[in-house]
Amino acid sequence: MSKISTGHFSIEDLENVQITIGKIVGAIEEKVAEEIDMGPTPKPSVSALRDWDHQLLTRYQPVYTPQCDQCCYCTFGKCDLGGNKEGACGINLAAHQSREFLLRVITGAAAHSGHGRHLLHYLIERHGRDHPLDVGPSNLLAPNVQMVTGIKPKTLGDLEAAIEYVEEQLTQLLATVHMGQEGAAIDFESKAMHGGMLDHVGMEISDLAQMSCMGMPKSDPEAPLAEIGMGCIDATKPMLLVIGHNVAGVANMIDYMHENDLSDKIELGGLCCTAIDMIRYQMDKGGQPYAKVVGTLAKELKMIRSGIPDVIVVDEQCVRADVLDEAKRLSIPVITCNEKIMYGLRNRSKDKADNIIEDLVSGKEAGALILDLDLLGEVAPRLVMKVAPLRKEKGIKALPSDEELTALAGKCVHCGACELVCPNNLPIMDAMKACVEGDLTKFESLHDHCVACGRCDQACPKDIPVLDVIEKASQKAISQEKGLIRSGRGQISDPEIRQEGVNLVMGTTPGIIALVGCSNYPEGTKDLYKLAEEMLKRNYIMLTSGCSAMDLGMYKDEDGKTLYERYPAKFLGGNLINVGSCVSNSHITGTAIKVAAIFAQRNITGNYEEIADYIMNRIGAVGVAWGAYSQKAGSIATGCNRLGIPVVVGPHGSKYRRALIGKPYEEEHWKLYDARNGEDLPIPASPEFLLTTVETVEELMPMLAKNCIRPSDNNMGRMIKLTHYIELSQKYLGQMPDDWHRFVRTETDLPLAKREELLKILEKDHGWEIDWKRKKILSGPRMKSDVSAQPTNLKRLCKGEC
Amino acid sequence: MVDTTKNTLMYTTWGTKTAKPVNPNVAAKLISKAKKPLLVAGAEIVDNEQLAQRAIAIGKKGVQIAATGHAITVFHGKGVNAKYINIHALAHYLGDKNWKGLDGQGSYDMIVFLGHKKYYLDQVLSGFKNFSDLKTIAIERHFMQNATLSFGNLRPDVHIEALDEFIENL
Ligand code: SF4
Ligand code: SF4
Ligand code: SF4
Repeated sequence: MSKISTGHFSIEDLENVQITIGKIVGAIEEKVAEEIDMGPTPKPSVSALRDWDHQLLTRYQPVYTPQCDQCCYCTFGKCDLGGNKEGACGINLAAHQSREFLLRVITGAAAHSGHGRHLLHYLIERHGRDHPLDVGPSNLLAPNVQMVTGIKPKTLGDLEAAIEYVEEQLTQLLATVHMGQEGAAIDFESKAMHGGMLDHVGMEISDLAQMSCMGMPKSDPEAPLAEIGMGCIDATKPMLLVIGHNVAGVANMIDYMHENDLSDKIELGGLCCTAIDMIRYQMDKGGQPYAKVVGTLAKELKMIRSGIPDVIVVDEQCVRADVLDEAKRLSIPVITCNEKIMYGLRNRSKDKADNIIEDLVSGKEAGALILDLDLLGEVAPRLVMKVAPLRKEKGIKALPSDEELTALAGKCVHCGACELVCPNNLPIMDAMKACVEGDLTKFESLHDHCVACGRCDQACPKDIPVLDVIEKASQKAISQEKGLIRSGRGQISDPEIRQEGVNLVMGTTPGIIALVGCSNYPEGTKDLYKLAEEMLKRNYIMLTSGCSAMDLGMYKDEDGKTLYERYPAKFLGGNLINVGSCVSNSHITGTAIKVAAIFAQRNITGNYEEIADYIMNRIGAVGVAWGAYSQKAGSIATGCNRLGIPVVVGPHGSKYRRALIGKPYEEEHWKLYDARNGEDLPIPASPEFLLTTVETVEELMPMLAKNCIRPSDNNMGRMIKLTHYIELSQKYLGQMPDDWHRFVRTETDLPLAKREELLKILEKDHGWEIDWKRKKILSGPRMKSDVSAQPTNLKRLCKGEC
Repeated sequence: MVDTTKNTLMYTTWGTKTAKPVNPNVAAKLISKAKKPLLVAGAEIVDNEQLAQRAIAIGKKGVQIAATGHAITVFHGKGVNAKYINIHALAHYLGDKNWKGLDGQGSYDMIVFLGHKKYYLDQVLSGFKNFSDLKTIAIERHFMQNATLSFGNLRPDVHIEALDEFIENL
């Protein structure tokens, strides 16, 4: 048989006939192979995994905290559902809250998969359907896609069927939001889980496509470091600022700048995930990113208002809706390049570059919509070279002068309106008073807590531009905002899983903490650093992505080193791995799926429930979205939840409206089956929740350690996890945790150094029987220690059941 | 006497049912009358000595304390009955008639809140308001519209004065 599996042959006189027999034969062979290992739920429908969801939701019950007691979905309403009343269509507040949650999840999932579809379409046009997926030294290329859809993609074209499935299911889910219809909160919850699962497929498609075609690092622990922070921007050069999540446009700008010797003449900076992905672009063969990351969404308005950018290009997702208005005030032309954001601008996609540049330089038009990304690649750099000297010449003034600052602060009548509307109720009045007296320190500390939303400006009866005042007063602090971030390295590779999988399942690596999500933190950015440093020292594997990955790079130790310089990026305990942008979060769930596939040799293809069951009971991983604000963070978390991975959000996360929390005091919820014989297997109450909020980072740390405990821990693993739980609780809460004894199965689970002391407590406070001669526990624990037990939620997987 | 009922300005509304503004002496009387009240003290008291002292003083009057966040660090060795619990979990358990309380002696009939972030507490309270019969009193510096009863928006110094009056009347 020919070695060419696909190809076009032209036969003389029959030039238009294409013979693709190889492909047909290959496809048949593949189909047969696929059918042999296909699990029970390839491309699951909305109801296919409902039993699994209901099982999860029985243990982890929804806790609703409405943002609004009313519903205004249809013209029967507005309905007051307060007190869990029913609206005109019969829905009650609980079901409506779960519907609201579902809507957030599918909005997030649509944002990622819309992004994925755009990238895929664009990259297929450039590279063709047969372009191979290349993600590093792995055979399991697309764990989420394969587990959910049963498809094993090898090329860009193979991803199309997977994204079509996601799109179809998202339409089905959106249809369920229509008035009336579903009345059971629990089924909206199951639908939300479905949406979360789809999100991880959509994200994976996006990142696999861009990694394969755009030269991004591929499972590379040596991915380069890039500069980050407002303070690292060189304002003397013409500055091009890109904002958003889709790297396709800025990649063309980078190419154009490179080809035209502009790279060192233009300061290229980015906000949000476009920035994260532009420092991955063409970095797979070494090299150093010259583009700089400005920071997260919390820096967006501050960066624009600084007046430093000469041109702004926005693409999609986390981009402020008022960029054009803000930029116009400072004569900064804005280019939009994605259908998600068009700001009412004229479509110039078919115009000549010269004409567009002329109109924007002259100020005739404030911006342009350019959907042709090749054209964009040329226009943006050329435009910035022309606009920058003109803006300099005009002396565009952005922030107030020192004198104006004092005068503005002096105008404040301390009415408190700004503090009331501020999402963090920041002490603006006090800072204004201090500022008048020449003390700027209060504003400097406020600056790190301020997410630059601009609501204070809107509220002030004295028309004080409060945000400008904050920014001006904090110039010294801002100039010192300089750090380093490791460029996103993509997936965890198969060989890495082979090496570390056993430690994760046995618990000897105490857990994976995934720091993800946005920048709406309760107490500024430093908390994240504090958390990561503590857990890294304790040998947890820290995975990070997106805005959290940025903020982690902003702080240095006494030696001037950032966390990325201090901790390596291999998939091992005590390593810090930036997987990449928002869509790279799929590699975090992908890692857990890979452990099931590679370490445990489970068949993942179209086999969602079994793999989720495996992950939930064996892999001590917890997600932390400390500053989560976007719908996408909600959908990412929910996708983790369906796999049994718990997620903690910061206090602002209470506005997602619902949490999923278990009751450790109800023993009937904390048992599984032992797959060896189908008998009941009591388990520890961990994870205690699937989604919850936590108040402070001090509370969070012991909670993370506890919620990494899993039934599969061996004695060494449990001992390590308990040690961290107890130590963190003592360090940050000043006490032994109340419930540590619930995780003890045998004396060898107890931290070695404290064994005797703890045995005494078990005897005295909990009535356990101890054989003091042999230092052994005789009775007391609810669970036995048995490393060969096979914990499962699924009766069908037990011996003799099928 | 401090009037804590004047400024009940809100930034956004949750719905049609809103907290009744309450004065410190009335709030204290209601709590004194309750069978089993609970003070839920949040982490904002940790770096605020003034608030911390008041929270301890309430505990000294015999009110049990649920210390959320890392507020428990304030209560160690102070001779009050305080236990750490996560506020979201607490909210979930409080809505459960089978929960035995922090001390295993049964649940609570009146919940008082001090030391919380405004936006966070109002979310927690919206759960109670809509899905439980629990009576909640916010003695915070901000008007907590989802509580049953709440102080209005107060200046920090007036808030402390109000708390002192509240404690006196317990
Ligand atoms: S969807 Fe139902 S609850 Fe909502 S406004 Fe319409 S009738 Fe009222
Ligand atoms: S811009 Fe900053 S200070 Fe102003 S309301 Fe928003 S977060 Fe508060
Ligand atoms: S709203 Fe304006 S006048 Fe009122 S306190 Fe804030 S800055 Fe001062």
